[in-house]
Amino acid sequence: MTGFDFSLIADHSALLLTGAAMTVYVVIVSFVLAFGFGIVVALLSFLPGAVPRAFLSAYSIVLRSIPFIIVLFIVYYGLPFAGFHLSALLVGILALSFYKSAYYGEIIRAAIVALPRGQFESARAVGMSPRQAFVHVIAPQLVRGLLPPSTNMTLTLIKESSVLSTVTIGELTYQGMVMQGATYAPLECFAAVSGLYWALCAGTAWIAGRLERRAGLAQKAAIDRNPLAASFLSFERPKVRR
Amino acid sequence: MSASPVLRVQGLSKSFQGVPVVQSIDLDVHKGQVVAMIGPSGCGKTTLLRCSAGLERPDRGFVELEGQPFGHERHGAEIRRQSPRQMDRMRPKVGMVFQQLNLWPHLSALDNVVKPQVVVLKRTRAEAAERARTLFTQLGLSAKADEYPYALSGGQRQRVAIARALALDPALLMFDEPTSALDPELVAEVLAMLRSLASGGMTMVIVTHEMNFAANVADRLILMGKGRIVEDRPARGSVK
Ligand SMILES: Nc1ncnc2c1ncn2[C@@H]1O[C@H](COP(=O)(O)OP(=O)(O)OP(=O)(O)O)[C@@H](O)[C@H]1O
Ligand SMILES: [Mg+2]
Repeated sequence: MTGFDFSLIADHSALLLTGAAMTVYVVIVSFVLAFGFGIVVALLSFLPGAVPRAFLSAYSIVLRSIPFIIVLFIVYYGLPFAGFHLSALLVGILALSFYKSAYYGEIIRAAIVALPRGQFESARAVGMSPRQAFVHVIAPQLVRGLLPPSTNMTLTLIKESSVLSTVTIGELTYQGMVMQGATYAPLECFAAVSGLYWALCAGTAWIAGRLERRAGLAQKAAIDRNPLAASFLSFERPKVRR
Repeated sequence: MSASPVLRVQGLSKSFQGVPVVQSIDLDVHKGQVVAMIGPSGCGKTTLLRCSAGLERPDRGFVELEGQPFGHERHGAEIRRQSPRQMDRMRPKVGMVFQQLNLWPHLSALDNVVKPQVVVLKRTRAEAAERARTLFTQLGLSAKADEYPYALSGGQRQRVAIARALALDPALLMFDEPTSALDPELVAEVLAMLRSLASGGMTMVIVTHEMNFAANVADRLILMGKGRIVEDRPARGSVK
């Protein structure tokens, strides 16, 4: 029982990789759902009226103050109680998406608020509907501001998906525990699991970095051609003029 | 139909948090008129423009564009609010050039002018680009078509904003202090451009502090104070 046994990891690599693949699947689906719902939530928060506002603040406060594992248990044990019988995987993905949507929604809302109000107005003034203004004028400008916080949030999403192991979803953490049950070698198991989580997070960060560079490129090209423009990158009107 | 003023404002009032900002304004602007609007800061000039352009809902009163109700409709004694969709259809009739211009920074100068034509008027990209290039040639912007807004000078940005409004073939152009954010040497440039738009027959309402402009280009001078029109008289430009 002495020494770190790499052969154990090699023997169980297929199992761990299956788990990692499941984690990737869960994360991608949850990300799409959570981000989509986050957009809806963020847009709802701009509607006038007390009802959507009260609903959204309740939603946000509740989701952001309850640990994810509790939300998961409530959904997992609550849905059958309410007469819905869904697979554990579906329930897990829905719970994770729902939970994360509060966070993505907050990020998206902050990015919209940070845009000058005149951007929306000038789109409306030329006759665009609110939806057209969002699609053609607001959304494209959000990409740059959204990328860094969304990346962080998505790294958290990857890590939080490990909680789904508690409801028998065969993702990475779950398979790590299966391996541990078979080998009684927790150190090897969880070191391997950690390595795989690191790889998933590093891959995600790498992709995000590429996207960030590309989003900045169009503007950077124009700035490079113009030294004056480079001096006020922030689009502010320069305060001192000569 | 031809007798209808391009812009008619009747009994328009607007308050913010109970403070009246614009009070019972009546105003007719006829085709080809150039109206300069002058008044102390805070007297409600911007608010009047915004209400006329349908960007702000007046508390009371009516706006008509070329004889068509904009914002509220009268059906006998009943007053009906137009739906946002109805208002969106009318909006391209009024070209608004904001004080901060509000160009879209993620689009090139040309695309700033192309986008609204494609999205709102459903022109093809080719048609829209042709219209934009024609305007850019007229406004001396041809060399800047592919630049992004922050790579443009203040005067060039101003012209892009004007081209964006003109491309939708508005019946009326409204400017909110078009020269206030500019270097003094650019002011003359913008004034010259407004003059050439005026001689081309464009109907315009221009909020300005440039007495020079008001005296020489406008046909009509409106002085505002405390939310009301205190004087409305022909300007010297009317004898041009
Ligand atoms: N959205 C708003 N909410 C609250 N108050 C407003 C709003 N818009 C304008 N006001 C107030 O209404 C008054 C008139 O504003 P407005 O911008 O129409 O004046 P202005 O004549 O354009 O002034 P300036 O020459 O400084 O641009 C001001 O006291 C302003 O603070
Ligand atoms: Mg103003």
